[in-house]
Amino acid sequence: MNKLLLIGIKDLKLMFRDRAALTFMLLAPFLLTLAMGFVTGRFSGGSTGISDIPVIIVNLDQGDLGNALEDLFNSADLAELMEPSASSDPEAARQLIESNEASAAIIIPKGFTQSIIPAAGATFGQDYVEPEPIQIEVYTNPSSPTSAGIVKAVVDEFISRIEEGRTSGMTSFLQLMQSGLVDPQNIEAEAGTLFQNVEQTESNTITLTKNTEGADAVEFDLLSYFAPGIALMFLMYTVSYGGRSILAERAGGTLPRLMISPTQTAQVLGGKVLGIFFMGVAQVGILILASTMFFQFRWGDALGVIVLILAAVLGATGWGMLITAFARTPAQVANTGTIVMLIFSILGGSFISLENFPPFMQTISKITPIAWGLDGFTTLALGGTLPNLVEPITALLIMGAVLFGIAVVLFNRNGLVQL
Amino acid sequence: MKKIFAIAWKDAIIRFANRSEWLFFIILPITFTFLVAGGVPSGDDDNRIRLLVVDEAQTSISQQIISELENSTAVRAEIVAREDAESQFDDRRASVVFIIPAGIDIESLQNGSAQVELLQQPNNLNATIAERAVLTAIRRVSSSISAAQNAVNVREAKQPFATEADKQTYFEDSLELAQSIQEDAPERVTVIEGTTPDQVEYDPRTNTSAGQLITWVFIPLFGISALFASERQEGTLRRLLTTPSRKATFLLGTISGQVVLALIQMFLLVGFGIFAMKLGWGREPLPLFVILFTSALAAAAFGTTLGTFIKTAGQASGLSIMFGMLFAMLGGCMYPLELFPPAIQSAVRILPTTWAMEGMLDLGLRGGGLVDILPEAGVLLGFAVVFFTVGASLRFRYE
Repeated sequence: MNKLLLIGIKDLKLMFRDRAALTFMLLAPFLLTLAMGFVTGRFSGGSTGISDIPVIIVNLDQGDLGNALEDLFNSADLAELMEPSASSDPEAARQLIESNEASAAIIIPKGFTQSIIPAAGATFGQDYVEPEPIQIEVYTNPSSPTSAGIVKAVVDEFISRIEEGRTSGMTSFLQLMQSGLVDPQNIEAEAGTLFQNVEQTESNTITLTKNTEGADAVEFDLLSYFAPGIALMFLMYTVSYGGRSILAERAGGTLPRLMISPTQTAQVLGGKVLGIFFMGVAQVGILILASTMFFQFRWGDALGVIVLILAAVLGATGWGMLITAFARTPAQVANTGTIVMLIFSILGGSFISLENFPPFMQTISKITPIAWGLDGFTTLALGGTLPNLVEPITALLIMGAVLFGIAVVLFNRNGLVQL
Repeated sequence: MKKIFAIAWKDAIIRFANRSEWLFFIILPITFTFLVAGGVPSGDDDNRIRLLVVDEAQTSISQQIISELENSTAVRAEIVAREDAESQFDDRRASVVFIIPAGIDIESLQNGSAQVELLQQPNNLNATIAERAVLTAIRRVSSSISAAQNAVNVREAKQPFATEADKQTYFEDSLELAQSIQEDAPERVTVIEGTTPDQVEYDPRTNTSAGQLITWVFIPLFGISALFASERQEGTLRRLLTTPSRKATFLLGTISGQVVLALIQMFLLVGFGIFAMKLGWGREPLPLFVILFTSALAAAAFGTTLGTFIKTAGQASGLSIMFGMLFAMLGGCMYPLELFPPAIQSAVRILPTTWAMEGMLDLGLRGGGLVDILPEAGVLLGFAVVFFTVGASLRFRYE
């Protein structure tokens, strides 16, 4: 056991002396996490990063409803989300969208209010019952589909409220007319009363209760998903770096030298595996510590985090050993390791959440330690504890054991650890 | 000229001597473009957000809600059993689940006891958008009931009903009227996509294709630094300089060779975009060439500058990948720039990847032409001039 530890610690020391490797193992993931923090708005207090959507409002209506829509975009509720500006020229507004200076333009045409609420003095006739459809134009920027979609959703919701108020007012009014309960002398005033504040109508016959998983226990931090995703991605590089050292030692003659010492083959191989394991644990541990200290991440239950790191590194170490077993030279391990790291990062969801992938790819992602590790880290960030991690931890341990077993068979067949 | 070509050819042979280079040159970029774009359905597919709906009520009201959801432009309703929905939600394979429990009927709406449930993954944009769609659907269904209820109240205020049966009849008539008014309601919002020319179809995969192209081309161009470092490390640079070749010839040969390889890589990826993904990259070939060429120059210049600060090829290789990924992420190649906070959107303009991406999107999404991409091309050329000046003239070390 002492020999195993010595070999493992020796490899760990070598890693810390290799500046180029450290750049890739520690600096790169740290900087990418930092960048992700900026991109997602984590460091500017935003939850998703989407804020201050530039939207141009052209209010040609100047009636109650046009003004209400303009007020809505300028309201305190949307102050963080929207950055509205007013214009009186629809063509100029469209031009700003074309030149990518805003996400969307809302053009409220003249007569919009009157198409829903007749102006004072207007005849309350057939035109009112079947209003001329005057449409609000939402002119969207195709390179900002998300922001434009949010603008459209806000307009849709506003229109939905108006339609609700109009339906309610018209139903009441037409039913009263049919019942002969409307005073013909007072028809406009009565209609006016029924149509007051149509944009503020809100029916509450169905209540929607929301349940955001874990929200009561802990506020979910977006970086709690991406930070481990990036750390696990670079872990794949680290395990192949460790595997490379086995071939480098053989090429450099230090491995045969080890073999002539009174050390069993299993101890040498075990020591090298332990070295890879130590490197992985050190890398992920340092990254987690650094992000906790510098970015105040909430990783969740400490015991769960430690056990999950150990399991994830074990799973990844299995892959490192397998890559080494297939390769002939350290350069081959380096290349294959980088390729596996990049492919696994996409498949495992380091950069793009797995829910955006089709089901077959979600299934394929299960071969990566990144997917299982991320599953566990997300569970912890949502308030889960060690007992909730049984599935990902078991999967990672099985992955590590199976891959290690295959690697040993291949090592023996290739005579890698023989004199 | 012959020497420049010879140096460029030598670098190409060295680079492709290792077969795995083909993986980085074309196979991985295509795989990544395919995989990442696979998560973003094309314009022909249904790209609405998947909303799992559990209908335990099985009433006309629940059917109306589902029918409203099916008409939504934001969500795609998928009816499933509760266990299936909960299992998908727990596995985080679904961002949102809408549950209509048993007992949601007209009576429950009338007495205000109707309650539906929405399960959302936290901090999930899709879940937030789906919530809006669900609210709109239940509002549309409940608004006719509300309208009828309101009509009854208005009528009662004017003249009380003689019997409870009269009141119920009035309510039912009002409900029918409200539903018919609702059905006849005209469209009050029209959405026009500012895509300019008609032949440009909006396809979200354009973003992916442009982003992956820039990422995979910039990383090897940053890797020019490794070429310089390796030649210095192995002493071949000194040997080369003992030949009757000027230093500028060596620099020009090395850089132009990599730029030409980058252009070939770009055209292969653009070809994949055009033929396999049916993207509109071929619409404006000249502006496309201009933006690709200036992007390659800017990236090569950055690689040259990087090469002056680095001692070993190992360091250069790691740093090239690190800077490549970092610049790609911040430049909007992995996530659309519109999702970034405004201050960051401005700050990332110091990166060549941001301008390269903007230029590509001007052509691919905004239907722009040569004039539209000139600002981006100008800035990229500016980057190239600055970095070449620093890297090749001021700081370059031959030994």
